Amino acid sequence: MSGLHELLLLCVVLTNFWVLGTTRLSSTIRATAIQGALLAGLPIALHPGWSLHTVGLAAGTFAVKALLLPAFLSWAIREAAVRREIEPLIGFSASMVLGAVAVALSFGIAQRIPLQESNSSLLIPVALATVMVGLLVLTTRNKALTQVVGYLLLENGIYVFGLSQAERVPFLVELGVLLDIFVGIFIMGIVVFHINRAFDSLDSTRLSELKD
Amino acid sequence: MTVLLWAVGLILAGGGGVLLLRRAPRLGERLYGALLVGGGVVGLWPTLAVLRGGPTLRVTLPGSLPGGAWVFGVDPLSAWFLLAVLGVGACAGVFGLGYLAPERGHRPVAAAHALFALLLVALVGVVTAQAMVPFLAAWEVMALSAYLLIMFESEQAAVRRAGFIYIVLTHLSTLALVAMFAALSVHAEGQSFAALAAGNQTPGAVRTLGLVLALAGFGLKAGVVPLHFWLPGAHAAAPSHVSAVLSGVMLKMGIYGLLRVLSLLGAPPPWFGWTLFGLGLGSGVLGVLWALGQHDLKRLLAYHSVENIGIILLGLGVGLLGLAYGQPLVAVLGLTGALLHTLNHALFKSLLFLGAGAVLRATGTRVIDQLGGLGRALPWTALAFGVGSVAIVGLPPLNGFLSEWVIFRGLFVAGGSREVIRFAVMGAAGLGLIGALALACFAKVAGVVFLGNPRSPADASLSPGDPPPNMLAPMLVLAGVCAGIGLMPSLILGPARMVAVSIAPAIDGGAVSAEWGGAAARISAFGLGLVALVGLVLLLRRSLRQGRVAQVAATWGCAMAVPTPRMQYTASSYAAPLLAAFGPLAGIRRHREATAFHSHPVDPVQDVVVVPVWHELERVSLRLRRIQGGRVRWYILSLIFTLLSLLFYLTNSRFAP
Amino acid sequence: MTLGPLLSLLLVLAVAPVLPGIATRTRAFLTGRRGAPVLQLYRDLAKLLRKNVIYSRTTTPVFRLGPIVSLVSILVAATLLPLDGHTALFGFSGDLVAFTGLLGLGRFALVLAGLDTGSSFEGMGASREVTVSAFAEPALLLGLTVLVLATGELSLAGMLGEQLAAAWARTLPSLVLAAAALFMVALAETSRVPVDDPATHLELTMIHEVIILDHSGPELAMILYGQALKLALFGVLVVSAVVPRALLPSGMAALALLGGLVLIAAAVGVVESSMARLRLNRVPQFLVAAGALAVFAVILLLR
Repeated sequence: MSGLHELLLLCVVLTNFWVLGTTRLSSTIRATAIQGALLAGLPIALHPGWSLHTVGLAAGTFAVKALLLPAFLSWAIREAAVRREIEPLIGFSASMVLGAVAVALSFGIAQRIPLQESNSSLLIPVALATVMVGLLVLTTRNKALTQVVGYLLLENGIYVFGLSQAERVPFLVELGVLLDIFVGIFIMGIVVFHINRAFDSLDSTRLSELKD
Repeated sequence: MTVLLWAVGLILAGGGGVLLLRRAPRLGERLYGALLVGGGVVGLWPTLAVLRGGPTLRVTLPGSLPGGAWVFGVDPLSAWFLLAVLGVGACAGVFGLGYLAPERGHRPVAAAHALFALLLVALVGVVTAQAMVPFLAAWEVMALSAYLLIMFESEQAAVRRAGFIYIVLTHLSTLALVAMFAALSVHAEGQSFAALAAGNQTPGAVRTLGLVLALAGFGLKAGVVPLHFWLPGAHAAAPSHVSAVLSGVMLKMGIYGLLRVLSLLGAPPPWFGWTLFGLGLGSGVLGVLWALGQHDLKRLLAYHSVENIGIILLGLGVGLLGLAYGQPLVAVLGLTGALLHTLNHALFKSLLFLGAGAVLRATGTRVIDQLGGLGRALPWTALAFGVGSVAIVGLPPLNGFLSEWVIFRGLFVAGGSREVIRFAVMGAAGLGLIGALALACFAKVAGVVFLGNPRSPADASLSPGDPPPNMLAPMLVLAGVCAGIGLMPSLILGPARMVAVSIAPAIDGGAVSAEWGGAAARISAFGLGLVALVGLVLLLRRSLRQGRVAQVAATWGCAMAVPTPRMQYTASSYAAPLLAAFGPLAGIRRHREATAFHSHPVDPVQDVVVVPVWHELERVSLRLRRIQGGRVRWYILSLIFTLLSLLFYLTNSRFAP
Repeated sequence: MTLGPLLSLLLVLAVAPVLPGIATRTRAFLTGRRGAPVLQLYRDLAKLLRKNVIYSRTTTPVFRLGPIVSLVSILVAATLLPLDGHTALFGFSGDLVAFTGLLGLGRFALVLAGLDTGSSFEGMGASREVTVSAFAEPALLLGLTVLVLATGELSLAGMLGEQLAAAWARTLPSLVLAAAALFMVALAETSRVPVDDPATHLELTMIHEVIILDHSGPELAMILYGQALKLALFGVLVVSAVVPRALLPSGMAALALLGGLVLIAAAVGVVESSMARLRLNRVPQFLVAAGALAVFAVILLLR
C-alpha cells in the first residue's frame, strides 16, 4: 500500500498535463473527474486503517469531486452549447511547456519549505504543482468554463496540501471539500447563467466590454 | 617565438608587397598568396610544438613603449586559437585573391588585400598578447581593419548601415574591456597578465565587476544574444573571404578573451557559470531560429554563427559549473567541448562562407529563393558546401559531431551528481533542439541552392562554373580537415584536453585521460565503419544493377502537365511551418493583401528593443540641445566651472587620491 | 564481439519487416477489414529488388546516395543497441548522441534526395518532416536522459542492459513515463498516426511518404526496409525501458524482445485505428506533450 499513494499522486500530475494539452471542453471535465476520483482514494492510501472517518471522507470527496461537479459542468456545457476551446492566450504548446516548468519549480520549492514530511515526500510538490497549473489555466484560457476547471484544479491542489497537514489541523480537509461544493456551485450558477443571459456568450474575452 | 615573429613578418611583407606592386596586380597577388601561405605554415610550426606539450614561448619587445613592457607569448590557450587564426586566415586570404580579382579595375583591391594581412597580424597579436596594453592595441587594430574591410562596397546603403552599427558596437565592447582592465588592475602590481592574475585571486567586488565587464565586452564581440544584432549585417556586407575570417576567427576572439580572463582569475562563482549556460542555450536556440527565416545566404550563415557561439558558451558554462561545484570530470568535458567546437566552427563556418562566396561569384545573387540547381554547374563547390553543411549540423562522422558529443557527455555527467549542477542536464534537450533546427536550416540551404532546378533565369554575363583553383583549393582543404578531424578525433582530443587543463589547473587531468583514449579510437572506428558501409552498399547496388539500364524520366508531377521550376518549394515556404510553430519569437513579419503575400525576417532584438530605445534617446537628446546656446562665452564659463570644481575636489576632499 | 549480440542483431534485422505488417493488420482488424497479410512487406521488398529503377532528369548523385546513407545510418544505429539485453555489438561512452546523430543523418540524406528532384511535393514533405523532427528530437533526448539518470551509464548498452535491471524497481514510474514519451516519439519518427498516416493516398496530406515519391526499385526497397528497422529500434528502446531483459538468460531475452516488438507493433495498430491524424499545426503540441512527460520523469529522478 505504501506505493499506492505515490502512484495516485503521479496520476494526478498526469491529469494536470491532460487538462493543459486538450482542446475539447468535455475532455477537460473528464480529466477533472478522474482527478477527483484519484484524490478520493488518497486518504485511504495514506491511512491504511479502514476507519469510518477515512471512508466517509473518501466517499464524500468522490461524490463531490468525481460525480457531482463534473456532472454539473457537463450540464452547463450542454446548456450553453459550447464544444471546443479556442486558442488560449499563450498557445497550447507554450501552456504545456509552462506546465512542465511549473512542475519542476514546485518540486524545487517543496524541498525548501520547512514542513514535516509525515506521510509522503510527494504530497507537497504535487499540491504546489496542481495549484500552479490551476492558476495557469485560470489566467490563460478564454472560455469561462475552462476557467472554472482551472479553479477546480486550484481547489484540488489545496485539498492535497490539506491532506499533508491533516494531523495538525483536524477537519481541515473536510472543510475544504465543503468549500469546494459551496464555491463551485456558487460560481457556476451565477457566473455561467448570468454571463450567458447578459451577453449571449460564454467568451470571457468579451467581459472586458464591461468597462465601457 | 622568433619563428612566429618571422611568420608575422612574412604576412606583413605580403600585405606590403601587394600594395607596392599594385600596378602589376598579378605579380603582387601571387607574391601575396605565397607569403601568406608561407607565413601561415611557418607560424603553425611553433604552434603545433606548444600543443604537443612543448614549453610556452615568450618575447618582450625592446624599447620603451607606452603602457609598460609589451610582452607577447604563446601558451597552450594561445596556440589553440592560433591554429584557427593561421589556418583559416591563410585559406581565406588565398580565396580572396580569386574572389576579388574581377573587381580589380573599379575597387581598391590591393588595399583590401593589405588590410586583410593587417587583420591577420592583429588577430595573432590579440591571441599572443600577454599584457594589457598590447592586447588592447591589437584589439583596436583588429576592429578597425575589419571595419575597413566590411566597408569594401560602401556605395551601397545597406553596407554603410551595417558598418556603422558594427563600429559603434565594437567600440562599446572595447570600452567595456578598458573598464574591465581598469577594474582588474586596482589590486595588481603591473600591466602584464601575470601581474593581473596574481592580484585578483581572492573573490571580491572588484573581481565580480571584472567578470561582469568581461562578459559584456567579450560577449558583445562574440555575438551573444542579445548583443548580437551587429553580426548579421556586418558579416553579410563584407566580401566573402573577409566574412569567413570575421565569423570563423574574429568571433572566437571574444571566446578567447573570456577564457584568458578565466585563466587569470581562477574558478568563477556559480552564478557566472549559470549565466553563461543560460546565455548559451538562448543564443543557440534563437540564433538558429532566426537563421531559418533569412532570405539572404550570408545573413543566414551569420545567424548560424550566433547559434554556434551559443553552443560554445553552453559547453563553457557547464565546464565552469563543474569547476564551481567541484566536479572535475564535468569541468574537463565542458571546457574541452567548448574549445573543440571553437576550432571546428572556425573550420566549417569559414568553409561555408567561402562556398557562399563562390556561389555569389557564379550567380551574382545572395538571395536563396532565386538560386537552385547549382550542383550540376558547380560540382566541387557543392561537394565542399555539403561537407560543411553535414559538419555544422553535427552529424556523424564529421567534426561537428565530435564537439557536440563531448558537450553532451559533460551535461550527462553533470546530471549524475548530487549537487545543484545536476539540473544542467536539461540543457541536453536544448542542445538537441538546436541540432534539429540546424538540420532543418541546412537541409534547406543545401537543397534549395544546389539541388533541384534554377528558380530564376541565369545571369548571362556571369559564368556558372566551378571557381578557379585558387578559390577551390582552400575550400577543399578546409573540407578535408573537417573530415579528417571527424574520422580521427585522437588528433585533437588530446591537445584540447591539455588546453582545458591549462586554463583551470585545479582540474586533475589524469583522471580523464584514460577514458579519452578508448573513446577516441572507437569513434574513429565508428566513423570509418559508417563510410565503409556506405561504400559497400553502393558496390552491392551497382552489382545488383548489372545489365540493366536505369530509365530517365521527368520528375513525377501528379498530373501537372507543365511543371515549371518556379513551382519548386522556395526556402521561405520550406521554413514557414517551423517558424509558425514558434510564433512571434521567430521574428517574421507577414503582410497580406488581396492578391499578394510578403514576408520578411527582422531581428527581434534590434527591432523590438534597440531601435525604439535608440529613437527615444534621440528624442531626449534633441531636447537637451537647448543647453548648447551657441555663444562662446557660455562654453568658456562651463570650462572655468569644471576646472574650479576639480581643483576644489583635489585640494579639499578627503576622497582625493 | 561475442556471438550473442551478433545473433540478436541478425534476428532483429530479419524480423523487422514483420512489424509494419502487424501494425497494419491490427489496424485493419479493429476497423472491421481483413487487411494485407502480415508478411506483405517481405514480398514487396523482394519485388522491388527485382525491378528496374527510374531516375528523374533533375536529379544528381545525391538522389542515388540518399537511400543508401539512410539505410546504412539505421543499420549502424542498430549495432549500438544491446539487442540481447546485455551487450551491444559496438558502443562507446556517450553513444546515445551517436544514435540520435545517425537518425538525423538518415533524415538529412532523405530530405536532400527529396529536394533534389525539384518537385513541389517533395519540398513540402521535406519541410514538414524537418518540422516534426525539430520537436521530436528534444523529446527523444529527454527520454534517453531519463535512462541515463536512472542508470548512471552513458552508453546505450549500459543504459538498457544490466544497470537498468538493477535500478528498475527503484525508478519504475520514471521509466514508464519515459517509455510512453519514447512511444509517442516513435509514432512521429516512423510516420504513424497521429503524426502521419501511412495509408493515405493524397500527397498533400503526407509527410514521409511524399519525400520518397520519386524513388523506385531497389532504392525504394532500402527506404521501406529502413522504415521498418527504425520502428523495430524504437520498439527495442520502449521494451528495454520497461522490461529488465538483463535478468533473463540470453535466449529468453531474445524471445522477450521479439514478443515485446510484436506487442509494440500491435499497440501502434491500436493507436492508428483509434485516433485520427492530427492537423499539421497540432503535431508540435503532440511532441511537446511527449517532452513534458519526459521532463516530469526527469524531475522525479532529479529530486
